[in-house]
Amino acid sequence: MMERVGVDGRGADCLYEASQCSKIASMLKSPENTGQTMTKKLLMANEAFAHAALEAGVRVVAGYPGTPSSELIETVARLHAEGHAHGVHVEWSTNEKAALELLAGASYAGARCLFTCKQVGLNVASDALMSLNYVGCGGGLVLFVADDPGPISSQTEQDTRRFAGFAKVPVLDPSTPEEGFAMMKAAFDLSERHHTPVIVRPTTRICHASTFFDVQDETVSRPLPEGGFRKSPKWVIFPRRAWEAHGEINERLRCMQREFCEPPLSRFNSVTEVAPGGSIDLAPSFTGAEFVSALDAQEAMDDVMEWEGVARPVAETADAPSVGVVAGGVSAAYAREALRMLEQAQEAAGKQLPAYRFMQVGTPFPFPEDLARSFLKGLDNVVVFEELDHVLEDGLVRTIVEKHLACSVLGRSSGMLRDRGENSTEDILNSLTSFFGVYADADLDRSLQSRQPFRFEGDLPTRPPVLCAGCPHRGSFYAVKRALGKKEAVLCGDIGCYTLGNAAPLDAVDTCLCMGGGITMAQGFSVVEPQKKQVAFVGDSTFFASGLTGIANAVYNGHDITVCVLDNATTAMTGAQPHPGTGVTLMGEHRKPIDIEAVLRALGVECIVCANPLDLHESVAAAAEAIEYAGPSALIFQSPCVQLKKPDPAAMVNPDLCTGCKKCITEIGCPAIGFDAGAQGPRSRNRGQAFIDSSQCNGCKLCTQVCPFKSIVLTSDSPADAAAARGATNAEEANHD
Amino acid sequence: MINILLAGVGGQGTVLAAKVLAQAAQNKGWQVRTAETIGMAQRGGSVVSHVRMGSEGEAVHAPLVTPGTADVIIAFEPGEAARSLGYLKPGGTVVSATSLVQPVTAALSSAPYSASEVVANLREALDRADASLRLVNDGEVLAALGNRRALNTVLLATAVACGAVPLTLEELKRAVTACVKPQFVDVNIAAIDAAAQR
Repeated sequence: MMERVGVDGRGADCLYEASQCSKIASMLKSPENTGQTMTKKLLMANEAFAHAALEAGVRVVAGYPGTPSSELIETVARLHAEGHAHGVHVEWSTNEKAALELLAGASYAGARCLFTCKQVGLNVASDALMSLNYVGCGGGLVLFVADDPGPISSQTEQDTRRFAGFAKVPVLDPSTPEEGFAMMKAAFDLSERHHTPVIVRPTTRICHASTFFDVQDETVSRPLPEGGFRKSPKWVIFPRRAWEAHGEINERLRCMQREFCEPPLSRFNSVTEVAPGGSIDLAPSFTGAEFVSALDAQEAMDDVMEWEGVARPVAETADAPSVGVVAGGVSAAYAREALRMLEQAQEAAGKQLPAYRFMQVGTPFPFPEDLARSFLKGLDNVVVFEELDHVLEDGLVRTIVEKHLACSVLGRSSGMLRDRGENSTEDILNSLTSFFGVYADADLDRSLQSRQPFRFEGDLPTRPPVLCAGCPHRGSFYAVKRALGKKEAVLCGDIGCYTLGNAAPLDAVDTCLCMGGGITMAQGFSVVEPQKKQVAFVGDSTFFASGLTGIANAVYNGHDITVCVLDNATTAMTGAQPHPGTGVTLMGEHRKPIDIEAVLRALGVECIVCANPLDLHESVAAAAEAIEYAGPSALIFQSPCVQLKKPDPAAMVNPDLCTGCKKCITEIGCPAIGFDAGAQGPRSRNRGQAFIDSSQCNGCKLCTQVCPFKSIVLTSDSPADAAAARGATNAEEANHD
Repeated sequence: MINILLAGVGGQGTVLAAKVLAQAAQNKGWQVRTAETIGMAQRGGSVVSHVRMGSEGEAVHAPLVTPGTADVIIAFEPGEAARSLGYLKPGGTVVSATSLVQPVTAALSSAPYSASEVVANLREALDRADASLRLVNDGEVLAALGNRRALNTVLLATAVACGAVPLTLEELKRAVTACVKPQFVDVNIAAIDAAAQR
């Protein structure tokens, strides 16, 4: 292992590496965790990436939860708790910026470090990242940043590959969980070799895919180099040093571009050529470097007009392709499958696809230009499949312009493909059929296009996500709305489960921008619309992550807002992670929880009211008090997340008392409360009646306080009624075979 | 290649069902991939899990089932079966629970959401394209078992017992035993037996 804790001028260091990079690459392995016993396990990719980092000797792991990234850190913590991962420190930090700065320190001292977040989390950590790349790291520092095409669980479709280019940091982009596993290990070596942070960017469909992996039973973190942190002027970023470092960054990016086109890293960039009527491999079988050397060999051969007939990936001249397909990330897996389906459909119809070249890019930045140049040779048209932004497309266009090639590129920015959202095998199949038809003038069987043999004719209600049955946030939102009454108000929401307070019938979230943003946005509304009441809702984890500066701002500048902290004692949306207010750390230590009320008081908030959101009377009174207060006030709703506690006895509707007024449904919208239009009772006539699904009800009792006719009671109050209520939930049961 | 789509409502147990199928496939030496819905939709929204098995020894590369290619849809709720019907291939099988889970949107709306209507429409759509429908009266089965949480196992066992998933009930039992906590093994084995007898 080439250690890099010396204090020599780093420019010279990097130039040395530039000339040696392929040799060094082949020398590099992670020797610490070899010779271990292995077990085959079914793992979600995020879990497997945790194993990969531990096997690479990672010593410090920190991040902030966010879908689809959260499982990685949780897996490290679990493996540590079970005694399988030795010598690792793992934590949920207060936010992403705190995590990355902590890791920068540990890395300077020589530890291998792993940062995790979702795509928008990198925005929070970006201040640290931008300078960190200039300072450089000591021990390998890998940023695991999960992107979310769709988006499925996010507020943006931003592309971390693009962020990597902006920050001038290399990024690896896996097409399968297995490739991500290999990339995670390679990233630590790459980081140490070039003193650069390295981003590994999988997307949701990779992160949450599962398959079987062989993983080590035990891992040991790599020890710090002797002496640990060595003092040097290079750790202090000054303008003069930044100017030097910028040159080093540019040089190492050029070096890495070359490395990505040569073994061993070129294994993440494969190029293959398929003859007319041929069949593409479903998994990459041919690395880019082999392709380039084969192409060079062919050129040499062509020069002397002879060919010995040895196996080579480049087709004979007569069948030389004029079209190419490029794909990255999970789209590469979709594209391979779509090509295979298309090939089989042609064969079945007695036709064939023309020759084509396929390039898979796993190192989008720095873009492997040398490889792309060889790939593009002789091609007239190329189609690019990638999600989020058009990063590969831009790389190809740039290569074409720089090398004066004559090839058109069709992709996300060209208007031929969808410009947002997820790709799919089906979508790519349709695009490829059109592409081969138009640009390779192929007569194709198109029977696969848009084939969905089944269509459901009936109407189906939409089923968006909702606050859980018994969720305390429901009571918090409802109480604030009741307290506001007809008073005009803007309700600023934030990021978390409670964004779902936006849905009907609560309709209690008017804005949602970014983590902690609601508190400060409310202040902007109050400046320009002082006649309205501004209320900000923030979760307990978000409060610590990025709510505090907003509170300080409100107190300092005297903004008349009410901040509602929805304290459910966990980070609920991402799967119940601990945070500073819970007092429990990821490594199982118990500390004194940071008290939200004490923090608010210390920040100068003078009106602070607490309430149990499942007690409607108490909550409405507390909300009224905080709302009436002139100046910044706070309302803390305290009740644990319903996912964390045992359900209380379910509630039920007494059919003798229910009038069918639907108030329980139209006021609070609990998923456990349904409406049976056919149910009849003495007071409901033929209006129908509400019913409670006892399998969903958690017994929060909010509905019992909302019903104006006291027709909702707890099943524990009357066992006979409970049985009757359960029967009602199955009123709609259909006949069956 | 066997493509299976598990469709349900967040919280119903599709993720564990996918894991059990993956374990069973692995036990047979097949390559297998699954993909889950995790995140916001888990809060009572529509969720699907994809399971792809290389049942003839072939490699499985992409994680998602392509529309029109699913051999089986295992639906935890009839409306979710209907919603995911575009994934089914001609001649495929839908195994569906019959109990409705009424979404808040339906409770708020004046349009009725009725199981019998959904099932009738499902049957009509499937008949048109030579596919089969296997309904599971989950309310009755689970009441007899005394455990509503076993819905996923009951549906898997039904899919195996009717031949829609090429596994044996013994193979399913072995996979379930490997995937659930020891204290829940017995109830799940009982659920498999109960479903298989129907």
